[in-house]
Amino acid sequence: MWSEITKKLQETVQNIMPQVEAVIGWERGFNEIRIKPVVIKKEGDISKLVWNPFCVQNLSGYLVKSPAVIPREGRRVAICVKGCDSRSVTALIQEGFLKRDQIFIIGIPCSGTVDWRKVMKRLERSSVIHRAEIKDGRLMVEHAEGVEEIPLREILLRRCLRCVYPNPTVSDVVIGETVSPHIEKEDLYKDVEAFERKSLDERRKFWAETLSRCIRCYACRNACPLCICQDWCIAERRDPKWVTQKPTLKDILLFHGIHALHLAGRCTECGECERVCPMEIPVMFIKEKLNETTLRLFSYEAGIDSNLVPPLLTFNPHETGI
Amino acid sequence: MVARRKEKKSQNRIFIPLEGLNQTLENLSKHFTVWVPMPSGENEWSLEFKPLHRGCKILLDRQSTLPPKKVILPQGQTLIEYEYKKSESDPSKQDLVLREVIDESPIIVFGTRPCDVRGFLVCDKVFLQGRYIDVYYRARRLNTLFATLFCREADDACFCSSVGSGPADMEGSDIGITPIDGGWILEGLTDRASEIFSLCDCEAPDEKQIEDARRVQEEVRSMRVGNLRTDGVLEGVKGQFQNMELWRDIAESCLSCGVCTYVCPTCYCFTITDEPQGLRGERLRSWDSCMFYQYTQEASGHNPRPTKLERYRNRLGHKFSYFPLRYSGMIACCGCGRCIRSCPVSIDIRQGVERVREAHHGCVCS
Repeated sequence: MWSEITKKLQETVQNIMPQVEAVIGWERGFNEIRIKPVVIKKEGDISKLVWNPFCVQNLSGYLVKSPAVIPREGRRVAICVKGCDSRSVTALIQEGFLKRDQIFIIGIPCSGTVDWRKVMKRLERSSVIHRAEIKDGRLMVEHAEGVEEIPLREILLRRCLRCVYPNPTVSDVVIGETVSPHIEKEDLYKDVEAFERKSLDERRKFWAETLSRCIRCYACRNACPLCICQDWCIAERRDPKWVTQKPTLKDILLFHGIHALHLAGRCTECGECERVCPMEIPVMFIKEKLNETTLRLFSYEAGIDSNLVPPLLTFNPHETGI
Repeated sequence: MVARRKEKKSQNRIFIPLEGLNQTLENLSKHFTVWVPMPSGENEWSLEFKPLHRGCKILLDRQSTLPPKKVILPQGQTLIEYEYKKSESDPSKQDLVLREVIDESPIIVFGTRPCDVRGFLVCDKVFLQGRYIDVYYRARRLNTLFATLFCREADDACFCSSVGSGPADMEGSDIGITPIDGGWILEGLTDRASEIFSLCDCEAPDEKQIEDARRVQEEVRSMRVGNLRTDGVLEGVKGQFQNMELWRDIAESCLSCGVCTYVCPTCYCFTITDEPQGLRGERLRSWDSCMFYQYTQEASGHNPRPTKLERYRNRLGHKFSYFPLRYSGMIACCGCGRCIRSCPVSIDIRQGVERVREAHHGCVCS
């Protein structure tokens, strides 16, 4: 199944190659469950492209973050997107970072991507992976000390288990069959609601424990396609200085608070911030709360309609309900 | 009793049974701060070194996500505390009171791997050699002992044997830990080990256990982890320095985050900031990353490494070229593979090195 979609993807790219500057997609990484982004610039490299549930990265940041591939006049940059990634592309268009006619969007319906750490947990001691294959909703891993079969659902990323937009919301071509979401839309914020029912002490304890693991590597920030301050983030600014360099909970909380607030009403819940965290801190959860609020107050979801202006990027004196 | 103690003091090997590990280390923790690898959270995959506490879950069966680097080089280390006080001699003036903070408390890091310790051997060159000795680093380094595992847990990101080390490399370690059936054999490698053993309250291993350990060590010694070739890279980085197409190929997908540098046992770069709180404050040394734009931002406004391409070139170049050129050929990479495993976009430094090597040899040949 995956090899078929990969084949179709490569054929599609072959056809559009003459009109595009480059194609941003995924290729195999250092083993079969670790896929990495690739920028294809010549026909000879098209065979590197793959698609399977290990294609975790949201590639849309590469369209805007320096040194991005900038298309020459009259040409476009092609990008492979899953459902969640397509919302980031729309959000970037909404905010004026990207022009729709500069990009060619290859949409791929996605039934969920794999959390490699969840796979490693199941392998116990051994961790050299010889082969990995996903078939009929199960992952089969051949590793140094045997074979493990795991139902796919048990190793999906948290973001995927709560995804309601598995199909690209914007695209120039779609590869693969439409898939249905894992959850109903009304359940999108049930984790947030459940968490809010906990006492203040419990919630404080949860965040104190998880955030104290943060090493401030800023992977969450840099992986976010919409964190566009990049090199001028207040987390590292010295003058004026907003956040200290102390690795204490107070400063860590301050950074994550700022990070999340800057994404209020903009975050498309692609979950990259959480996926890339080497310390497995569920940082998207903070943004989920803000999105739940945005939805309640403004009936707005980020990255769906490129004609809308995100609520906090505009000012309407007649705004009601706040 | 006295006789037994005496005998224990002279022993060079002890056996710790599986179920006795926590107790043994708790005994040690009365005299030392004992750092052990344990899960970062309840259900998390990531492991990190933390000070032992009663009942904690010690995990020795795989490499930790974060190296024990912070034991010697804390992520945030107070160098000086300062306070402005009203001057006693002249009430119209303030006195500045300074206090240097040097931590000399004794530490044991238990369950390191050869790559972890190799990281400190690299850092030693920088902090302990030459004209300037770093007193903060030295204080911690001299008071820290390492009990290191003969490592059987190499995975597909490991390549320690390719960079001058190996899974049985005990250089820099004070105690070697050999996992055998039913427990671990600890073997003294430096004079400091016997003091530890006398505090452990453990039995000496029997003949069979010694034989088992010998066999495990032999097996580990015969392993070659990784097949990276580094010949030509020393000169290659210099030769390819301006070949930005090459560096774009290698680092185009880089996110410019600090994961690789923060999980790296040999990345030692730091920044120094003053962190005031009213009339008092501290001068803080904290981890910095050459992957960050601000790292090379100059006061003039110029930045010699304006994009991730120059920054990645620096990371690879520093480890495989500039550092070995300065420190008699020592590669500033311990081959632990952490940067490969934890990279959000799976950038493989081995591949980068290989590309530089190919480009270099290509140049030489043509």
